[in-house]
Amino acid sequence: MNNEKQLSQQESLRLITEMIQKAKGSHFHENGTSAILWGAVVGFCGIMSFAQYTWKFSIGFDVWILTFLALIPQIFIAIKEKKNKIVKTHEQAVLDAVWVVYGISIFAVIIYMNTVPNASVELLAKDHIQLLKKDTLTGEVKPWKPFVLSATSILMIIYAFPTLVTGLARKFKPMIIGGIFCYGFFMASLFTSSVYDALLSGFAGICNWFIPGIILRNRYNKAKKALHV
Amino acid sequence: MFKELDPILHSQLRLAIMSLLISVKEAEFTFIKEKTGATAGNLSVQVQKLKEVNYIDVEKKFVDNYPQTTCKITEIGIAAFEAYVKALQQYLKV
Repeated sequence: MNNEKQLSQQESLRLITEMIQKAKGSHFHENGTSAILWGAVVGFCGIMSFAQYTWKFSIGFDVWILTFLALIPQIFIAIKEKKNKIVKTHEQAVLDAVWVVYGISIFAVIIYMNTVPNASVELLAKDHIQLLKKDTLTGEVKPWKPFVLSATSILMIIYAFPTLVTGLARKFKPMIIGGIFCYGFFMASLFTSSVYDALLSGFAGICNWFIPGIILRNRYNKAKKALHV
Repeated sequence: MFKELDPILHSQLRLAIMSLLISVKEAEFTFIKEKTGATAGNLSVQVQKLKEVNYIDVEKKFVDNYPQTTCKITEIGIAAFEAYVKALQQYLKV
């Protein structure tokens, strides 16, 4: 391309259109390795769990541990894909943010699933309650760890998801910080009773939306004023 | 009254670079070279000119011992590009 060529207005417009089209048609294509990896691992774990429950056998370890092992090749795949990317579109930036936040949320749900039963036993013990389960055939009584659904905790993960995605995609720090705080409140809510979960939920709303909203409103008002000066 | 066209943008290669960068979040030097068909030397000079007027950000780093240059349009660059397109529309009465 010759830089010194004098362009007419029509040529300029044509060049802009041509370059935008070229940029559009050359996006980096995912090769599907990550999707295949996770599809295979989660598919295998799910089917193996079903088989163990149904045909009453054990492979000697929790099959879902394989999902943690799959993180190792995933890290290498991510590094390799990043190296091969010579262009990053706005759409890809948003999708990257979605997958990062999805990863954080899955991790949060796993922590939730592993923490809630023990936390429930401790919270009940504070109220001098212990739940027991009785085998009606043998009459044997054992302590029971209940899985009490903490809807407020789950809601906090859902609150944080769009805020963190928006913050990361737009590089808007108040939303990034708000989203991270929201995950923090979620973590705290795993160890608190539903009364305090409600309070944490309120804090989550303030950090997640209210404060970033005020900052956005101030920016909007400033921009509006600047337009009318 | 017609607005004067920005002389920085009213050049074939610089306009091509800006048109590519306005469509993406960031792009490597090799990508811009491939799409514009320019020589590395010429492209390097024009990228530097766009950087000097703060229309683009240029980040240079080494990946596996190879230099990697990533370019990204700035807010100033976006405003200048939009103004340029508006001025073009005035000329062409689009």
